[in-house]
Amino acid sequence: MVKRLADMPEAEAQHLRRLECPTYDDTPALDGPPLGARRVAIVSTAGLHRRGDRPFRPGDGSYRIIPADTPAADLVMSHISVNFDRTGFQQDLNVVFPIDRLRELVADRVVGSMASVHYSFMGAFPPAAAQPHAEHLAGLLEADKVDAALLVPV
Amino acid sequence: MGALGHFLERRGIPTTGISLVREHTERVRPPRALWVTFELGRPMGVPDDPPFQRRVVRAALDLLARTDGPLIADYPEHVESPADFSGWACPISLAPADISSIDAEIDRLAVWHDRAAARHGRTTVGVSGLDMAAAGRLVAQALDGALPPAQALKEAVDDLRAYYLEAASAFPDPGSPAARKQWFWDETRLARALLALQPKLAASDDPQHKILANLTLIPAAERHRLG
Repeated sequence: MVKRLADMPEAEAQHLRRLECPTYDDTPALDGPPLGARRVAIVSTAGLHRRGDRPFRPGDGSYRIIPADTPAADLVMSHISVNFDRTGFQQDLNVVFPIDRLRELVADRVVGSMASVHYSFMGAFPPAAAQPHAEHLAGLLEADKVDAALLVPV
Repeated sequence: MGALGHFLERRGIPTTGISLVREHTERVRPPRALWVTFELGRPMGVPDDPPFQRRVVRAALDLLARTDGPLIADYPEHVESPADFSGWACPISLAPADISSIDAEIDRLAVWHDRAAARHGRTTVGVSGLDMAAAGRLVAQALDGALPPAQALKEAVDDLRAYYLEAASAFPDPGSPAARKQWFWDETRLARALLALQPKLAASDDPQHKILANLTLIPAAERHRLG
C-alpha cells in the first residue's frame, strides 16, 4: 500500500516530485444527470493504443482513439515512463483500462451508456502540449453525447 | 492527469478521475478525484478481480453527483503487496555460462512466452513492430557502438521487457511480480546490456539518446545498479 510519496522508495518518490504539476485556477464542477442517465467515456493516460497505431514519444500531448469494441489483445502501451508497474496490465487490461467494468455497470443499469470511442493520452505530457488536444477532444466527446469522462492515470 | 480534468470540464464535459499520487492532485486541483493507495501502474487496484475493480470505478463515477469541487475523496480499500517468494528461482537457467547472447536468451524464453500468451489470450508485445530476435539485435548493435534512433531503441526495449516479464509469468512457479522484476534485473543478459548501454547513450550528442539514458531506459528504482 502506498500512502504518500514519503512511503515510496526514495528514488521513485524523487522522480515523481520532479514532474511538472502546475496549479490551475479552480474549474467549477459541472452539474449533470444522475449516473443512470449518463454516457461515460474512459480517458486514460496510460499511453495505450492499438497495435500498429503511432507509438507515443517524449513530449507527446496527443491522444489515440480506442473504439469501444477494440479487443484487449489489440492494445499495447508505449508510455515513455519506466517508473510504474506493467505486469498488472500484462495480466489484465482492466486494471489499467476498466472497459469491461464499465460495460458491466451499463448492463446493470448503474450507468446509462458507454461512449462509442474511448481515448488514451500518455501521461508524461507537458500539460501545455496536451491542452489543445484535450480541448479538441471535448468537442468530440460532446458529439458522441458523452456527459461524463472517467480519467484513469497509470 | 488532473490537468485533463480542467481542460475537459472547462469545455463542458463533466469529469471524475483516479488519483494515484495525492501530492500531485492536491497541487493540480482537478474538479473531482478519487485517491487510491494502489501501486503505480494499477489504478484499478487488482488484476483479474472484477468485483474489486467495479467498486473502484463505481466510487469514482459516484463523485459525478458532487459539484463542490475541486474535491479529493479517499478510497477506503487498500491492497497489500503480496509477500515475495523467497528463494524463487527461474526454472530455466539463464546464467551467463549457459547463454552466450541476448539472442539465445530470447530464444530460450520463447516457449514460456507462448505459454503466457495462450493463458492470457493476448500479449502486450508489439509496439516496435519488430520480432523479438530483431529487437534483441538492435540492442546488441547499440552496445557495439551503432546507436539506433532513440525512439526505435526505446520501443524495442519496451517490447523486450514485456516479452521477458510475460514469459516469466508462465514459469511453473512464477513468484510475485516484484520477484520477477528482480529476476529480470539480477539475472538476465538483456538487463546487463541495458545497464551497459546507459553510459553510451548518455555520452551521445543526440538529446533523445540522453533522455533515454537519463529517464526512460532504467527505472529509478534500478539506477543504483549503474556503475
